Amino acid sequence: MEQVGLAATSDVTLWSLFMEAGFVVKLVMLGLIAASVWTWGIVVDKTLNYGRVRRQLDNFEQVFWSGQSLEELYRTLSDRQTAGMGAIFVSAMREWKKSFERGARSPIGLQMRIDRAMDVTLARESETLEARLGSLATIGSAAPFIGLFGTVVGIMTSFQAIAGSKSTNLAVVAPGIAEALLATAIGLLAAIPAVIAYNKFSADAGKLTARMEAFADEFSAILSRQIDEKLQSSRQAAQ
Amino acid sequence: MKGSLATSAVLHALVLTWALVSLGSPADFEVADVEALPVDIVPIESITQIQQGDKKAPAKEKASPVPTKKPTPVENAENIGDNDVDLKTPPTPNTKPVQNESAAAPEKTEKALPTPDPVKEEIQKVEEPEPASEPATEVAALPEPKQEVKPETKPEPAPAEEQPAENPEAEALPDKVPTPMAKPKVEKPAQTAKTPERKKEEAKKEQKKASSAKESDFNADEIAALLNKQESSGGGAKRSTEEAALGGKKTTSGNTLSQSEMDALRGQIQNNWSIIPGMADAADVRIKVTMRLDPNGELIGEPEVEATGGSDAARRALMGGARRAILKSAPFKGLPADKYDSWSEVVVNFDPSSML
Repeated sequence: MEQVGLAATSDVTLWSLFMEAGFVVKLVMLGLIAASVWTWGIVVDKTLNYGRVRRQLDNFEQVFWSGQSLEELYRTLSDRQTAGMGAIFVSAMREWKKSFERGARSPIGLQMRIDRAMDVTLARESETLEARLGSLATIGSAAPFIGLFGTVVGIMTSFQAIAGSKSTNLAVVAPGIAEALLATAIGLLAAIPAVIAYNKFSADAGKLTARMEAFADEFSAILSRQIDEKLQSSRQAAQ
Repeated sequence: MKGSLATSAVLHALVLTWALVSLGSPADFEVADVEALPVDIVPIESITQIQQGDKKAPAKEKASPVPTKKPTPVENAENIGDNDVDLKTPPTPNTKPVQNESAAAPEKTEKALPTPDPVKEEIQKVEEPEPASEPATEVAALPEPKQEVKPETKPEPAPAEEQPAENPEAEALPDKVPTPMAKPKVEKPAQTAKTPERKKEEAKKEQKKASSAKESDFNADEIAALLNKQESSGGGAKRSTEEAALGGKKTTSGNTLSQSEMDALRGQIQNNWSIIPGMADAADVRIKVTMRLDPNGELIGEPEVEATGGSDAARRALMGGARRAILKSAPFKGLPADKYDSWSEVVVNFDPSSML
């Protein structure tokens, strides 16, 4: 029955190729299409997300260096859901506030706590940035192999069909091979954008994280100066 | 993320739809119609080594032309055919009935000519081969009773007037009665009235007389045969007795020494060749001898001896042996003289290992 179908196939539209394919090959093709959908979903999501993050960083830096009082900035930001530099700033300020409200004595301990709080927030932020990039990498490396598997299985079936029909005419062989090759084509179609997107987004995520780290270091230095000034003034007051 | 996934799914759906529509079925390859050219492989032997035979007959081992029926009248004839004269032109098929009808016409001209005997002889010479066509013989046959009358009464009118009643063709005769033609005619019908063949033979005799009388290179027979449009003209005078087999028009000089003739030549050399048994590496040596011979079988110049394979020493020893054997066995005997073309320069190969 298989060979009859093979021999009778004269039109080679994509749809007929797909419908002629065996069960395994169909499954592989569907899986690869799903992977492609997932890849492009991530691409769209990340593009929007990174754009938003970059804009937030720009805005925050502008506001931060505008000479506005840090207390005031903290008050406006602590009410909102913040991300990126804002989140780092809020976490550091929160720790600062808590320490001074409870009358912390050791300035070194305060500095360490603030740094820790900022590190944790930074880690969380960068994790959000790099989320799902792993699946892009997986799709990029595995999809060609999956497609190849589909091709091999398809060609196997088509050769079995040739053995059954006892004809090596190219017209008999060609549709089966074309259908099998379609699996590799879909695999490459999914893999190539995934690889490109992975490289681009991991580089972007690295840049954004570095920017946030730089801000965290800078803010840490500012807070350290403040702590020193506060200690100085409190000592002078004690004297 | 959900929005992005939805966007991606929609994009994929769009792309797949587009692909299904536009990439659907690729255009078929345009295969140009190439006509196969028939190729005949023509061996050169068909030109260089033609044996005389018949072009249309089936191929046989020995080529021979179509058998002829008559004994040959010409010595050393070269062209096959039933003709009396050895002509190079191929035999043409016999005359069509149309030409036979026209053959009747000359009779009138004969009568019209007021010339006496010598002129008439000449005309007969030229037009003799006209088959005395049947209507003519009939006419000749009819006057049979008249002939008896003729010797008595020379003027023809009386019998001629009787004819019109019997034969419409004879109507022409009365008009020309007054011509003096009547006289010579009397003799001829008397002998040839019944059979046209006899008439022909008679004519031939006359021809031979005429040609011999002139005694020159001028071959009137040949001219007559060429001029003759009624009978099949061409064809040679050489007779063939065998069954027709495929072959050419003429035997060309191409021929080769047969295997047995070659073996005889090789044997003459081998008889004079003493090969030392047990020579090392002699098994692989092959000797090729090229020699030129004159028609008596004598060597012309030095024979060329080449050796391949085996060791250097064995090659040199065997080459020397071969040269001595050839010089000793010259002159060669038993070579067919008519094939001298093919053994004037002859190449003989030896495998010394088989001669030990």
